[in-house]
Formats: sequence, C-alpha cells, structure tokens
Amino acid sequence: MKQSSTNTGLLAVGIDVGTSAIKLAIVEDVPGKPRVVLLKSERLRRRDPRVLAQSLFDEALAEAKLSPADIGYVATTGDGEVVPFRTGHFYGMTTHARGAILLDPGVKAVLDVGALHTRAMQIDERAKVLGYRMTSQCASGSGQFLENISRYLGITLEEIGTLSLASTKPEPCSSICAVLAETDVINMVSRGIAAPDIVKGIHMSMAGRYLKLLTSMGATGPTLVTGGLASDLGLVAALQEAAKAAEARIEFRSHPDSVHAGAIGAALWGAFRAKKLSKLGVTLATGESGAHA
Amino acid sequence: MIAPQHSKDPAPRGNGSSGGGACSSGCGCGSGASSTGSKEAPANLATLVEKAEELARDWRLDAVRAWKARTKGIAVGYLPVWAPRELLHAMGVLPVGVMGAGDDLEIIRGDAYYQSYICHLPRSVIELGLNGALDCLDGMLFPATCDVIRNLSGVWKLSFRGKLSFYLDVPQDFERELGGQFLRQTLLELAHELETRGARKLDMGALARSIRLFDENRALVRQLYTLRRDEPWRVLTSELYPVLRAGLVQPVEEHNELLAAYLDLVRSATERRPLDQARVVVSGSFCEQPPLSLLKTLERGGCSIVDDDFVQITRWITSDVDQPHNTGKDALDWLVNSFLSDSTDSPVRYCAKGRKGDDLVRRVRASRAEGVLLCAPSFCDPALLDQPMLQDALDAAKIPWTNFKYAENTGQFQVIREQAGTFADSIKLWSEA
Repeated sequence: MKQSSTNTGLLAVGIDVGTSAIKLAIVEDVPGKPRVVLLKSERLRRRDPRVLAQSLFDEALAEAKLSPADIGYVATTGDGEVVPFRTGHFYGMTTHARGAILLDPGVKAVLDVGALHTRAMQIDERAKVLGYRMTSQCASGSGQFLENISRYLGITLEEIGTLSLASTKPEPCSSICAVLAETDVINMVSRGIAAPDIVKGIHMSMAGRYLKLLTSMGATGPTLVTGGLASDLGLVAALQEAAKAAEARIEFRSHPDSVHAGAIGAALWGAFRAKKLSKLGVTLATGESGAHA
Repeated sequence: MIAPQHSKDPAPRGNGSSGGGACSSGCGCGSGASSTGSKEAPANLATLVEKAEELARDWRLDAVRAWKARTKGIAVGYLPVWAPRELLHAMGVLPVGVMGAGDDLEIIRGDAYYQSYICHLPRSVIELGLNGALDCLDGMLFPATCDVIRNLSGVWKLSFRGKLSFYLDVPQDFERELGGQFLRQTLLELAHELETRGARKLDMGALARSIRLFDENRALVRQLYTLRRDEPWRVLTSELYPVLRAGLVQPVEEHNELLAAYLDLVRSATERRPLDQARVVVSGSFCEQPPLSLLKTLERGGCSIVDDDFVQITRWITSDVDQPHNTGKDALDWLVNSFLSDSTDSPVRYCAKGRKGDDLVRRVRASRAEGVLLCAPSFCDPALLDQPMLQDALDAAKIPWTNFKYAENTGQFQVIREQAGTFADSIKLWSEA
C-alpha cells in the first residue's frame, strides 16, 4: 500500500465526471482525521472527457508533487468509464454523502444539485445513505436548465447568484416543466421583468421542488447543498427562504468546497477500500491506463 | 478438450471430426465445411468482439442465409432454453437460436397475438416470422419452457403452414426408464420429421462426432467462465455475452474457432488490469435475453458478473456428453442420459423442493460472489415464480441480493444503474468481509 510523502496516511484520488464538468480531489486518509490535499475542476466545454480526465489527473499530481505510484486508489464517480486508469467506481449518492460528512460533519441530509439530476439523501454520521429521493427525468430541477436560462438572459452562470440576491420582487415561474418554464422566461423578458427578479423566481421554483424531495422522506436538521449548483448563493438563499416559509425543520448550508463533495467522497471511499483490500491481501494497480467497461 | 474416449459403445468414440474440421459425412451439409467464409481469426480483441456483436444482432439471419446459399443445407430454429443441437448437426441441419430481435425491431403485429401481461420474446418472434426475417428457416423447435412458448408453437403451426413446427416436450422425470425413454422417443420423432424434410438420416456414428464437436464447444465455454470467475476484469461479460450469442447463428465449428480466438486474445490482453468491482451472480435471464446495454450498465455500475444464466443452451449440459461413464446402446442414449443427469438446475426443470435455492447458493460460493442480482424478464413466469424461493435461500445463507426486471427491448437503464450501483457500493463499503 502506498503512503504519502509525509508517510502519515494513504493518498487517494477521487474523480467526479459530471455532465458539464470534471472535478478531482486528492485526499490523505490520516487515521481519524482525513484531509483534502488538493481540489481541481474543469468544465467540459465539448471536450473529450477521457482526455480531460487524464490531463486533470496529471496536472493535479504535478501540483501536489506526487507520482501515480504514490496514489493508493483512484476512485471515480459519475461517468467513471471515461477514466480507464481508475481502481474502482462508486455511485454518486454514496460519494456525495461521504464528501458532505467530511466538509460538514454534523449534516443529516445532503442535496446534490447536478447538471441533469437533483438528489436528496438522508444520511447517518458514517455517511451511510438511509433514504433518498430524486427528481424525475424532467430537466426543470437541474443545473442544465439554469444554464439555458442564463443564456437566454445573456448573463454568465457566475452572475446568477449575485443577481438573484439583489432581487426585490421575484417573478413566479412554472415549476412543472423545463419547456414551459423556458417559455415563461421568454415572456418575462418581453414583458420587461428585471433579470434579478427572473432569476430569483427560477431559484424559488427550484427550491420548492428540492424542499419537497427532502420533506417527503422526512428529512430534518442540517442539510448540505453539494454538486455543481452548491456555489450558487442565490439558490442556497432561496432554499433557506423556502424552508422558513414552509416551516420545515431543515437548515440549508453550503461549503466553499461543496462542488467537490462527490470527488472528495470518492477519494475517501477509495482510501477505505484500499485499506480493506490490503487487509484481504488483494493488490490493485492504480494510476496507469487500463481497459474495462 | 475432448473427453477421454472408450470403445465399448456401439458408436466408436474417438474417430470423430473434432477440432473444428470439416464434416466427414460427405453430405455436403456444410456443418464442417461450414467454417468457410470467415476462416481468418480476427487479429485483435476489438475486431473479434465487433464481429460477435454483429452476429448477436443478426435477427435477419444473414449469416444463416449465407450458410444455406453456400451449402444448400437446411436450417431449423429453436427457442430457449435447450434443443438437441447435436442431433440436428448430425443430420446436416444448421441449428439456429432464435432469441427475438432485442431492441432492434419495433413490435407491431406481434403485439396483436399476446396480452399485455405476456413477456416480450414471443411477440418479437412472431414479428420476425411475419416480417419474413425467419423465412430462411425450414422449421422451428419450441422447447417446453412455459405455457407461452407452448402456445407460440400452436400459433406458428397455424401461421406458417408447410414449415416444420415441433413442440419439443422434454421430461420432468429423470429416470432413464421413464423420462429417458420419453426423451429418446421425442428425439427420434424429431429426427423422422427432419428426415422427411430433406435432412440426412440420423446415423449414430455421425451423432457421436457431432456430440464431440459440441463437447468441445462446452469445454471452451467452461474455460471462459472459469477465467471470468478467476479474473473478471479480463473477460468482460459485455463481451462474453455477444461471443456466446454469435454461436446461435453460426455452425458449431465456426463458433468453436471464435471461442478459442477470444480465449487466446483475452488471456494475452496485457492492457487489462484488475478493477475493484463487486462480484455478483446474475440469475433469471435464461429465456428472454437481456439487451447488451443492460450488461454494460451493470458493469459500469461497479459490478463484475462472475456467473450467470445467459444463453443457457451453451451450458445446459454441464460437462462433456462423451464420457466413459455415459453408457447406452448408442450416441442418442448418451445425449438423453446427459439431459437427464447432467443438465443445469433451472426454473424450467423440475427440482425437488429446496434444491433450486441450494443450487444458486452453491453457485455463489463456487464463484466467490459477494451478491446476487435477480434479473428476470418482465412477466417471465418460470423465473418470477422461482424468485421467492431463491430469495429465501439467499437470505438464509446471508448472501446480499437485489432484484429488477427487464425486457429484451428495454432502452432506459437509469433506474437499473442506480440499483446496481448502490448495491455494489453496499457490498464494497458495508459488507462485513
């Protein structure tokens, strides 16, 4: 089993291959106190995810002054098959739960808002998923939807949160269907509604759906928002407002590294597996190209 | 790969055309010569798997048409789960597995024949029959798997008059004097029907030779299953499956070559390396076959399949038929005896209470699997009626399992991926081992 250069803990890499971006985390699994060594992410922008995952991995190791031989486990989550050098793969729910516990140890639930899906999970203190709810295939509850809207409004994704927070009179928006909601937005623009109010209306619509996901399975307590939209402060604020309005006993939180929760969780579970396999006497190659489905 | 031979049997063992050579009967059946056309072994794994996938999706039976044009022989289709391919081969007939059209064909007329609570396979087969895809077949065998397939044999008889439609009733009593006599008589009746339609007369020497060719086929498949059990990252099920299915439309000699070539290529595939996946047995997919994408979904979800019941005809008889202890007055007896005493446990085969679950648990232990995916086609009575017994046996043995259903044309796998992914994670992260 490989040890870090400081010889204190196992090093593992987590790679979260999402629909619109690849996130990477290197963690050092110091017993009882795992720590994040490095985080990186890159938007896909129509590039080959295989090539991007490899270059992100190479760059991350170079930045951390590590070689592939230093890594005890390369774990993927999301679309893991684009990473041929992976050691193993974990499902998105499992990794976001583990990442959330590292970032905010007190959380009882996780809301993973990705480009295509949103998933609400109840977890325990070991990061075991106790129950979950997920948006259906409709895109109205996803980051992709928000990205489309930002394009219509001529604003960048990074501006959305700030604009939303500046809203004074949010404009209600369809919460049922992405197609109808996009039509709503076009109408709003032609009616001269201000961009901050449009964006806030969309955030409120999304927040209402996410809150229902959590309350329908009885989630309460601190809830960490993870995934690509965790950095959207406007969405987090809308979630907090929605919870307050509905008198739900849910406290929404975000963390500066929430976007990387999946990658962090994958790396941590990878380190866990590396130790478990080592105990069983199983050796797995890491960090080198291979082939598997 | 051929079993030890002995000479006291009426049909001498050991002078057959094993090894994929030409049929020695001189009948021009092409069973041996068969191997024409595509002699050259694919140079690399990707090419071989691509060829296998092409054959696995060959629902128009282009390969069979080419074989018939080449050999002027006759071809007879069979449905899952078992058919006496050795007997057909010995009579110069090409046995052709008909497994439906998967997700490649929209079912329109086939739906008119069956209620909505009937599985997908018979609709698909009817559609193929009505659209002419099966015209090249001179007959069809309908093995006794369930009522639906039995009814399909009747539909076939009415719809395709003039073509052989044979309901292959198999015994559920496994005593030689009773079930054995019944099966022997059934097979002789089949042989007579085939003969009246232009097949060569059944000769026991030829049957012995054919048995050895299929023994070689079974041995190669066993080697692949053993290799996959030991090194699942080397033999992907998403490759093995089309490689097995290719044999449904190929003469056995060609399929033996394909299996041997695949075995050589994966053994020497240095770019493949171990992956940390959950080892699972897939059970329930013995009749209507799953779409290839489903298997890819399971593998991508973090599962390595280390045992399964796909394309079960390749493993229905679990060891060689031609063995010294397999005695009888002729080669037909060997085949009958193997069916009675050496065929796999299956929901379509009578097993004493408790045995079915026991067999699954034994397979899990033997393959060192960590869990079971009970993966049955929707509305498959044999599979789904057995499932509670299997679940009980797995629970008693403390083996994790999960279940889901599919149809041969299932196209959306998100839910299955989620289920398989979380199941694999629960094994890897929360199991005690």
